[in-house]
Amino acid sequence: MTQTLSKSRTNPQDQTAGRPTLLEVRNLTKRYGEVRAVDNVSLKVKQGELVSFLGPSGSGKTTTLNMIAGFDEPTEGDIFIGGKAIQGVSPHKRDIGMVFQRYTLFPHLTVFENVAFPLTVRGVGKNEIAEKVRAALKLIRLESYDDRRPSQLSGGQQQRVALARAFIYEPQLLLMDEPLGALDKKLREEIQIEIRRIHERLGVTIVYVTHDQEEALRLSDRIAVFNHGHIVQVGTGIELYEHPASAFVASFVGNSNFLSGRIVETQSGTCKVALAGGDTIIAQAQPELAAGSAISLMFRPERAVLRRAGEAQAHENRISGRVLESVYLGESVSHTLMTADGIEISIKQSSGGEQGSGLDFAGEAEICWRRDQTHLFPADAN
Amino acid sequence: MLLNRNRRGPQFYMLAAITGAVMVYLLVPLFFLIMLSFNESRWLAFPPPGWTTRWFEELFTNPSWLASIVNSVKVGFVVMILSLLLGVPTSFALVRGKFIGKTALNAFFTSPLIVPVIIIAVALYGLALTFGLAGTFTAFIVAHLIVALPFAIICISSSLMSFDESLEKAAMICGASKLGAIWRITLPSIRPGIFAGGLFAFLISWDEVVLAIFMATPALQTLPVKIWITLRADLSPVIAAASTLLIVATMAVVLLVLALRRPQAEQ
Repeated sequence: MTQTLSKSRTNPQDQTAGRPTLLEVRNLTKRYGEVRAVDNVSLKVKQGELVSFLGPSGSGKTTTLNMIAGFDEPTEGDIFIGGKAIQGVSPHKRDIGMVFQRYTLFPHLTVFENVAFPLTVRGVGKNEIAEKVRAALKLIRLESYDDRRPSQLSGGQQQRVALARAFIYEPQLLLMDEPLGALDKKLREEIQIEIRRIHERLGVTIVYVTHDQEEALRLSDRIAVFNHGHIVQVGTGIELYEHPASAFVASFVGNSNFLSGRIVETQSGTCKVALAGGDTIIAQAQPELAAGSAISLMFRPERAVLRRAGEAQAHENRISGRVLESVYLGESVSHTLMTADGIEISIKQSSGGEQGSGLDFAGEAEICWRRDQTHLFPADAN
Repeated sequence: MLLNRNRRGPQFYMLAAITGAVMVYLLVPLFFLIMLSFNESRWLAFPPPGWTTRWFEELFTNPSWLASIVNSVKVGFVVMILSLLLGVPTSFALVRGKFIGKTALNAFFTSPLIVPVIIIAVALYGLALTFGLAGTFTAFIVAHLIVALPFAIICISSSLMSFDESLEKAAMICGASKLGAIWRITLPSIRPGIFAGGLFAFLISWDEVVLAIFMATPALQTLPVKIWITLRADLSPVIAAASTLLIVATMAVVLLVLALRRPQAEQ
């Protein structure tokens, strides 16, 4: 664990700065009849980077991946790998490795033969194959399983073998289409660690499709958030969480509370928001949101604190609510409150904090959060 | 529940009795026939007055019986191979193809199962006469291929349908061409279906008699035709011996199909 945690995913710009772009997707569009599954998507992935495509199902992330792999032809747009356009190049000539969501080990071949397959079709010599397969199986810690059939392996083991099969021929680019989707949580975390280890060891560029935001945050250097066929934001986990570009990103990455309101006044970098419930909130002004615009206000459950009614005067932004439920979760306590105008708000407090467990709140309480933890989005968008 | 061994109620015994009766009904003619083939009398006498294997000796030494056995095996093998050569690509088209009229085409390829064989026989007989093929080896092959091909296609299609196409995609992304992926991954994976299809095709040809009677000449007969023709002339127990051979060979092929299917079911 210490080994895997030692690498910081929090500062990826430093790691990949100055590296050349390996994969570029330019104005990619895929239409099925009238439906635009992928709509004008552009993205650059640097060499050695791990970029996740995160989005709900049907958001176009898998379709984009399939176009990169060559299983789907784009309706419009270009894909470049290493600067070369790969339109019309058959999947087997793209020098790409791929791990699929479904188990795709070849059932009639042993683990050894499965991992060796990409080398066999490339006509690599027997001794070299044996050597490389052994090294690959060692990397995924399944050395002694070489003569088993896929049906004799667990789901997690099968996906690890699929991983070995994808990287053994050292492709420049590895694509992973929700490879852990069929596994339970514990196995998923175990293989996430495996994927990170392999990514570090081999320095391979990885595009990783997932709908699990936690998985994306855990694995990725950068995350591209997909919605309705568009990339709505690209950034590091911190950027997405701290500075979501839209209400959709705010709600999809992490938990969030939304309140509706209207900007009543902006001046010198701050603005005043009148909430539908009657309270007034101070937020950092945003150039595209002028006075009078209807907005959606968001704050994170763990960035707010609870105070007893009447004890919150020191806090700039606050609304009152009635505590409906408090659940003790060990490291944290989760509170559900309802505001006077009937909106449910969730608050997460760390359990050992200076306010104690927070379990002693009952009835009316004040929800308080800071001005810089207040995010404003135009009300009509998503 | 009904057949729970620990709670044998009257229903259990009733079901057992019915099952037993059906089995007897199905097996008695075969049993009767096999007894007759070892029967000492030169008539088809029952119960047999004594036992002998001389009818089998006659079957395997009489040139015309022997020729009919060889013909049946030859026709069966050629039909089997052609069924596979045509059946595999046809199955790929029917399962993988995306075209208008696919369902209709699917029905078309299984229609020989529905059309009465006698109608196919009459039609083919007319055609064979027109093209001067009547009584030739080719005519047998063509006739049997028509009724055998649907079985091959059904077996191969069904195993191709249950084959996960993403395995083929995986093989392609690993560096295999489309055809390479089919050759190295898809065909080996559906091998049990292909074997079963081939064996069924052989079986269909092996015991087919209606089409064969139309195509046969005194010089070129398959085993079922020879049995039929001999039966009309006299009631020699050689017929029973030949029929026994037909049954045993058929059972052997069926057992082979079952044995090949089992490893697939285990996966």
